[in-house]
Amino acid sequence: MASLAGRGPRAKIRPPRRGLANNDIDFNDTWGVLEKAFLEIHTKNASALSFEELYRNAYKIVLKKKGDELYKRVADFEERWLAENVHKRVVNLLTPPLMMLDSTSGRSLTTTAEKKDSGEKFLRELRGAWEDHQVCMSMLTDVLMYMDRVYCQDSRQPSIFAKSMGLFRDQILRKPARTEMPILLDILTRIILDQIRMDRDGETIQTHLIKANISMLEGLYDSDQEVEDEKLYLTAFETEFLATSADFYRTEGERMLRESDAGTYCTHAKRRIDEEGDRCRSTLSESTAPKIQRVVEDELIRHKMKGLIEMDSGVEYMVDNDKLQELGFVFDLEARVDVKKTELTRAIQKIVMEMGANITNAAVAASATSAAPGTTEEQAEDKAKTGAAKVNQVTVAALKWSEDILALKDRFDNIWRQAFQSDQMLQIALNRSMADTINSFSRSSEYISLFIDDNMKKGIRNKTDAEVDSTLEKAIILLRYLQDKDLFETYYKKHLCKRLLLNKSQSISVEKQMISKMKIELGNSFTLKLEAMFKDMTLSEELTNGYKSYVNKLGDADRTRVDLGINVLTSMTWPLEAFRGGATADEDQGNLQIIFPASIDRVKTGFTRFYNEKHSGRKLTWQTNMGDADIKATFAKAGKDGKPRTHDINCSTYAMLILLLFNDLPAGASLAFEEIQAATNIPPSDLARNLQSLAVAPKTRFLVKEPMSREINPGDRFSYNENFKSQFVKIKVGVVSAGNKVEGDRERKETEKKNNDSRGYVIEACVVRIMKQRKVLAHTALLNETITQLSAQFKPDVNMIKKKIESLIEREYLERVDEAAVPSYRYLA
Amino acid sequence: MATLSQFVTLVSSDDFSFIVLRSAACLSGVIRRMLDPACIIFSHASLLYSVLTLTDGFVEARTNTCHFENISGMVLEKVCEYMYYNEKHRDGKDVPDMDIPPELCLELLMASDYLDSACPSLLHMALLTAA
Repeated sequence: MASLAGRGPRAKIRPPRRGLANNDIDFNDTWGVLEKAFLEIHTKNASALSFEELYRNAYKIVLKKKGDELYKRVADFEERWLAENVHKRVVNLLTPPLMMLDSTSGRSLTTTAEKKDSGEKFLRELRGAWEDHQVCMSMLTDVLMYMDRVYCQDSRQPSIFAKSMGLFRDQILRKPARTEMPILLDILTRIILDQIRMDRDGETIQTHLIKANISMLEGLYDSDQEVEDEKLYLTAFETEFLATSADFYRTEGERMLRESDAGTYCTHAKRRIDEEGDRCRSTLSESTAPKIQRVVEDELIRHKMKGLIEMDSGVEYMVDNDKLQELGFVFDLEARVDVKKTELTRAIQKIVMEMGANITNAAVAASATSAAPGTTEEQAEDKAKTGAAKVNQVTVAALKWSEDILALKDRFDNIWRQAFQSDQMLQIALNRSMADTINSFSRSSEYISLFIDDNMKKGIRNKTDAEVDSTLEKAIILLRYLQDKDLFETYYKKHLCKRLLLNKSQSISVEKQMISKMKIELGNSFTLKLEAMFKDMTLSEELTNGYKSYVNKLGDADRTRVDLGINVLTSMTWPLEAFRGGATADEDQGNLQIIFPASIDRVKTGFTRFYNEKHSGRKLTWQTNMGDADIKATFAKAGKDGKPRTHDINCSTYAMLILLLFNDLPAGASLAFEEIQAATNIPPSDLARNLQSLAVAPKTRFLVKEPMSREINPGDRFSYNENFKSQFVKIKVGVVSAGNKVEGDRERKETEKKNNDSRGYVIEACVVRIMKQRKVLAHTALLNETITQLSAQFKPDVNMIKKKIESLIEREYLERVDEAAVPSYRYLA
Repeated sequence: MATLSQFVTLVSSDDFSFIVLRSAACLSGVIRRMLDPACIIFSHASLLYSVLTLTDGFVEARTNTCHFENISGMVLEKVCEYMYYNEKHRDGKDVPDMDIPPELCLELLMASDYLDSACPSLLHMALLTAA
C-alpha cells in the first residue's frame, strides 16, 4: 500500500500483477473440470462445488478466446443429457392408456380413471423434468455468466440459458416419443386437452400439474429467436385448445337446445363462460381467457341465440309467463356477444307486434260482432236504446283496446326494466314496435280519444289527484306513439266539444290539465283550438250572467219569462257537425229557420240585441239542435190517486218546441207528424228522433202515438198522454246520440276526407313556407323537408305532397326549374 | 438456509478476509449469484419454491464465504471500499468521486470486469483514472 502515499501527477500505473489468466491453461482440462461439475449439478449434487472455481474456469476459457468452443461443448453436453436421460424417463411413462388417446376407437378400452391417472403421471414427470432442467440451467448459466456476458453478446449467440431451453424443446418435446409416434408435444397437448375435457365433464383434475406444463409451454418459444408471440403455448397448444373447445361447446350447445329449456340453457351457458374464465386462471394461461371466452360465446351464444330465442321455451314463452329472471339471462348472454342485441330485439319486437295485433284484432272482432249487419249509426242507436247497458259495444271495444295497449306497454316496460337492465337499444326497439302496433291500426286515433273521453266522463270519478294524473299520463303515452296526430286532434275536438256542451265532463280542471299535458307533449299549435274552446266556455258563462243582470235591470218582472243560458261558440274552433247525426250529410240544416213560439222567440231576439250591443259586427247563428231546456209540466193524473203532479222535465230544445205545441192543443186533439214539422220547422230526421224519445221511450212517454209502433213514420199522429205517470219528479228525456262513441263507417269516411282536406292545406302551407325560405330546391329535398316538418303532426303521404306541389305550380306559386340537373322548383314571389 | 446472514466474507488470493454487508457485496452480479440461490432469476414464480428446496446452491452459499483466487488483497480492499461507497451514495446526487490510486486502476478494471459489478461506475471510474 506504499504506492498510495507516493501518488503523484505521473504515478506509474502498475501492470496487472500476474495476469488473471495469462498462465497457459489447457482447454480440455478446464472443460473436464466444468463437465464434471455440470454432471454434479444435473444430479443435484451442487452443494460441494465452488462457484468461484467454476466461474473462474469459464472466465479463463473465454478470456482465451475459446468462448465458441465452450459454448458448443455446453450445448452438446446438454443435448446429450436431455436425449439420453430425460427423454427416456419421460417416454417411459407413456403408458398404453395414454397412447390410446389419439385413436378414438381405443377410447372405450380404457376407463376414464386410468386415463386420468396415467395422464397425471406423465404430466408430473414432464413437469419434474422441466423444473430440473430450469434449475440446472439457471445454475449453469450463473457459472457461465462471463461467457454469456462476453462471448454470447459479442458473437450474437442466444444466451446459454435460451439455447438450453431450445434444446429442451427440440430434444424432449419435438422428438417422437418412440419411433413411428407423434412428437411428445402433440401427446402432451392431447393429454392436457383430455384432462380439460374431464374437467368440463365434472371430474376433479390436478390443475396445478397442467398449469406447470402450460407454464413450460409459455416459457418456450417456437424458434431460438424468442419472438414474443411465437411461444410454444400459442403456436402449439392454444389453437388446438380453442378448436377443441369450439367443438365441445358446439355439440354441447346443440344438445342443450334439443334437450333442455331456454332458462336452463342460459344459466348453463353463463356457468360455462365463468368456468372457462376460472379455468384459464387456474389451469391455463390468463392470456387465453378472452380468446376462450370468445369461443364459448360464439358457440353457446352467438350461433345459438336464434335457436334459443325461438325455442318452445324461448323468449316468447318467457314473456308469456313473466319469467323475468330468465329473460334477464337471455339478455345478459346476448349483451355479451352483441352490443345491439339484434336477435333479442327482433324477437321482442315480433312478440310486441303479435300481441298488439291480437289486441287490435280482438277490438275489430268485438266491434264487428256488435254491429254485424252494418255499422250505421242508426242501428247502433237501436241497440244502445234496447240494451240495458247503454254503452255501445264498439265503444267498449275501443276502450278495451286502449286499456290493452296500455297494459301491453306496462308489461314490456316492466320486462325492460327488470330483465333488460333498462337497455337503451331495447327501449328504442320497444318504442318502435309499440308505435308500429298503434299506427298499424287505422282507428287508433279515434280510440285513444275515446279512451280519454271515457276517462273524463267516468274514469276519474272518485279518484285521487295522483291517480287522475297517472291516467292522463297513460293517455299521453299512447298519444306519443300516435303518428296521425292531426286525426287525433279532430276526434279529440269533437269529443271535447260534446263533453263541454253537454256538461258530461267530470272536472274542468282535469280537462285543462290534460290540455296542458298535450301542450307539453305536442306543442302549442296543437292545443290552440282546444284552448279556444275552453275560452269560449268561460266567455259564454260571463255572457249569460251579463245578460241576466241586463234583463233584471230592465226591470222586466215578467215571471213567465224564460231564462236563457247561452254558449257563444266561435264557429271555426268547434266541430259542430259532431252534433248532427248520421243523416246530416243529406240535408243542410243550418239554413233552416226553426219556428219558435212567441215566448221563446222574445228571449232569443232579446239576447241577440244584447249581444249585438256588446259586440258589433258579429253574427249569431242559433244552433238550435244543440240546446236543451228545463220545463215544468203538469200532468193531470201523474200523482198518486190520479191527482195532478208537476214534473221537471229536461229535454232538448226540439223536444221542448214539440211539447209546447201540445200546450195549446185542446184535450183529445192530435197532431200529425207533418203538422208538427210545419209548426216548428224542425228537420224531419231530428224531429223523428225527438218524437221517438217523447212518444216511444217508456219512461218519458209524454205523447201518445197513433199507430203504436216503434218507428216514427210520416203520417203518424201524436196526442197528449193524459195517463202519464212517473215516480220521479225530475225526468230527463234521453238525448239521443249524445254520448261519444265510435263512428259509423260513413261518418269515419267523412272525418277522414275532411282530415285529408285539412292535411292538404297543411302540406301546401308547409311547402310554400319551405320554398319561400329556400327559393330554389330540388324535388327530393323538398319532399324530405316537408315530411320532416310535418312528422310532428302526421305522416304525410308522398303522393299527396306531389299532388299539392302540382297544384301549387298550377296556381303559380312555384315553377319548375328547367335547366337544373335534378328536378327542382323555384318559388315565385 | 433459513435466514441469510447479514454479513459475508470475501477472501482474496493472498488470504486477506473482508467482512462486508451482504447487500453491499451483492452489487457484484457474480457475488450475488454465488451467495444467494434465491437470486436465481426465474421467469416463473411458481417454480421458486421447488428451486429453494432442490438446491443448496454452491459451497459459497453454504459458508457465506467467497474465495477469489485471482484478486489480490489490495485490489479487493478497493473493491470493498467501492461497494460501501456505492451503498452509501446509492440514491444521492452530486456524489463526490471516489479516490482511486492510478497504479491500481488496471487491476481494478479487470476485477470489476470479473466481478460483473452491476453498477458500471466502478469500471467507469477506473477507466477515468487510467486515462
